[in-house]
Amino acid sequence: MNLEKVVFGFFVLLAATLNFGFFIGDIDRAELHNPFELFAAVVVNLIATVLKFGDRTQIGAIHLATSLVASLQLVGAALLYGYAEYVSSAGMTEGWTASVVSLSGGALMANIVSVVLLVIETVSFHRG
Amino acid sequence: MGNPLLTFWARHRQREDEERRARRARLLAAAASANRASETIFLILRRMRAPLIVLIAIFGISVLGLTLIPGQDAEGRPWDMGFFDAIYVMSYTATTIGFGEIPYPFTYNQRMWVTISIYLTVVGWAYAIGSLLGLLQDRAFRSALALQRFTRKVARLSEPFVLIAGYGRAGELLGHSMDALGRRVVVLDRNDERIDGLELESYHGDVPGLAADARDPGHLGVAGLDHPCCEAVVALTDDDEANLAVVMTTALLRPDVPVIARATTRVMADRMRVFGSPSVVNPFDLFGDHVQLALRAPASYQLLTWLESGPGAALPRRASPPRGGRWVVCGYGRLGRELTGDLRAEGIDVTVIDPSPHDDEDDVVVAGGYEPAVLAAVGLEEAVGFVAGTDNDITNLSLVETARRTNPTLFVAARQNRPSSAPLFAAMELDALLVPTEEVAHEVYAQLSTPLLWRFLRAMPALGDDWAADLVDRLTDLCGQHLQALWKVRLTDREAPALTPWLAAGEARLRDLMRNPEDRDECLHAVPLLLLRGEDATLAPDPDFVLAPGDELLLAGWPAARRALEVTLVVDAVREYVVTGRRVPSSWLWRKLSGAPPASEGTRPTAPTPS
Repeated sequence: MNLEKVVFGFFVLLAATLNFGFFIGDIDRAELHNPFELFAAVVVNLIATVLKFGDRTQIGAIHLATSLVASLQLVGAALLYGYAEYVSSAGMTEGWTASVVSLSGGALMANIVSVVLLVIETVSFHRG
Repeated sequence: MGNPLLTFWARHRQREDEERRARRARLLAAAASANRASETIFLILRRMRAPLIVLIAIFGISVLGLTLIPGQDAEGRPWDMGFFDAIYVMSYTATTIGFGEIPYPFTYNQRMWVTISIYLTVVGWAYAIGSLLGLLQDRAFRSALALQRFTRKVARLSEPFVLIAGYGRAGELLGHSMDALGRRVVVLDRNDERIDGLELESYHGDVPGLAADARDPGHLGVAGLDHPCCEAVVALTDDDEANLAVVMTTALLRPDVPVIARATTRVMADRMRVFGSPSVVNPFDLFGDHVQLALRAPASYQLLTWLESGPGAALPRRASPPRGGRWVVCGYGRLGRELTGDLRAEGIDVTVIDPSPHDDEDDVVVAGGYEPAVLAAVGLEEAVGFVAGTDNDITNLSLVETARRTNPTLFVAARQNRPSSAPLFAAMELDALLVPTEEVAHEVYAQLSTPLLWRFLRAMPALGDDWAADLVDRLTDLCGQHLQALWKVRLTDREAPALTPWLAAGEARLRDLMRNPEDRDECLHAVPLLLLRGEDATLAPDPDFVLAPGDELLLAGWPAARRALEVTLVVDAVREYVVTGRRVPSSWLWRKLSGAPPASEGTRPTAPTPS
C-alpha cells in the first residue's frame, strides 16, 4: 500500500462527494444547499488540484485538467454566492441559488470524470 | 545479384534505410533535449506541491473557524460572520497587512481564534515563499533554466556556426580567432566555471555556452548538432574518449557535417577514423612534423606558424634548428616518442633520457631526477639541440636552465603544459616552444577559417625554403610585422560584377587588380596568397598572372586594402580607372553627357553581394 496513493485517492473522492452533497436538492431552494459544504468543496478541490501538479504522464495531465475545471467552476459558484449575500440587495433569491447550484453541478461533472480516471488508473495498474 | 537494376534498387533501399535511421536518431536526440528543457516548469510545480497544500489547508481552517465562532454586532446582538467577511479578514491578516476588526469589533472568543490563525498563516506564507525562493536558488532549477535559455539562443541562430565541444585553452583560442573572422560559435564544456567565464570574455558576437557533458548526444543536439546552420563540429576536450564520443555522435546523426577532433595517441586517432572521415589533430604528432619542417625549411615553418596564428598575430622569429650534431630529448612520453621518430627520420642522432626503461628504444638513458650529473654524462657539451619534453612544467624549466649552464650554445626547445606557466617560459627566451593546446587551436583554425588557407598551408612546404622566405619578405614589406586580415575573393558575376567584361577579354593581369583606387600608381597593401581555378591552385601568383572568370583568390593584407578591392570589384568606373588609368563618369547622367560607351550595363546583376 502506498500512502501517497491513499492521500491522493482520498482527496479526489472527497472533492467529488462534497461537491455532490452541495449539489443535491431542489435547484432553487437556498435552504437545501449548505454554504459550509460549498466552502469545504472549494478547499478540498484546491488541495486536490495542487496534489496533481507535476505529474508528467498523459493521464496525469488529464487529471490536472479536470481538477482545474472543477476548481474554476466552484470558485465561480462561491463568488456568485458571495455577491448575492453581500452585494445584491435582494439576497439569495431563487434565481441566484439556481445559478450557484448549477455552477457546482458543472464542477460535479468534472469531479466525476476525475474519479473515473482514478478508477481506470487503478484497474490498468498491474501488480508484478 | 547480376541484374544491374536490382543492384541499383538494393543500393537505393540501403541508402534510404540509412537516411531513415539518421533521421530517427536525430529526432530522438531532439526529443530528449526538448524534454529536458521543459522540465523546469514541472520542477517548480512538483516542489511547490507541499507548501501550497499547507497554505490552502491553513487558510481553510482559519476561515472556517471564523465563520463558526459566534460574534456580536455593534449593539451586542448575536451575529455570525459570513464567508466573505471571514475570507477578507484572514487574507489581510495572513499577509500581515492588518486592517483591524471588520465589520464589528471581535469578541474575546473570536480574538483567540484570530491569534491562533495569525501564527498559523504566517508560518504557511513563510513556508511557501521560502520554498519558492529556495527553488530559484536551487542548482538543478538554475541549470534547467540555463538549458532552456541556451536552447532558445541556439535555435534562433540563423547564420552558420561552429560547434566547439570542450572549451579549454584550445577552445578559447579557436573561439576568439573564429570570432575575429566574424564567424559564430556555440560552446559546450563540462566545467561550468569555463562557461560562466564566457560572459567576461570580449567576444564581438554572442556566444551561447552550456555546461554539460559532450558525451551525451542529447546535449550535442541542444547545442545545435541538428541545426541546419551547423557548419562544423570541433571536439577539443582534454579527454580523448569524450572526443571520440563526439566524433561518433556526429558521424551517426549528422554525416554531412565535417568533424575535427583532438587525439593525443595514434590508437585513439585510428579509432576516430573508423567513423566517417573526421580530421584528427594530434598536437604531439603535429609538433614533430613542425620540427621536421623547421629543420628542413625554417622560412616555410615561419610562414606556416604566422598564417596559422590567426588575425593580428605578430611575425614569429625564424628559428633555425641545427642539423649537424646530436640532440638530447628529455622525457619519452607521447611527445618524446613522436619527436624522436621525426628527428631520426631526418638522419639526426638522438639521445633520450627518461625515468623508466623502454623496450622499443635502444638509446634511452634511464635516469629519474634529471640530475646535472646525468646531463653531463650524456654528453650535453657536444650536443647541438636539447628538448625538455616532460609533462611537468617545473621539471621542464629546471631542465632548460641546467642544460643552458652546461652548454650555452644549445638550441633549446621545451614543452609548456599549463597556461599559467606562460610568463616563465617567455622569460626563458627559448628557441622553440611547444604549447599543445595552441598547436591544436592553430591547426583547427587553419582548417576552418577558409578552405583556401588550408590548401595553401598544405601545398606551401613543397615549394621550398627560398620561396617561403621571399613571400615572408613581400608580406612584411607590404603589410608590416602583423598579420592583419585574411580574406577570399571570388571573381564571379555575382561577387565581382564590374570585372566581368575585363576578365572576359582575356588580358586581365593580377597586377592591375591590385592597384589602389585612389592612386593607381600605388599598389594595394595586400598579397595574393593563392589562386584557385577549378581544382588547380597556384600559390602566390605573380603580378603578370592572367585572371579568368570564376577564379578564387586568397589575400592577406590590411583591412583597408580589402575595402578598396571590394570597390574595384563592384564599381565599373573604379575598375576602369584602376585598369586603364582613365577617369570615367560613374553616374548615368554624366555618362550620357560625356558619351562614354556603357561598357557593361547589360551584364550587371541587380544585387551584387560582396563577401
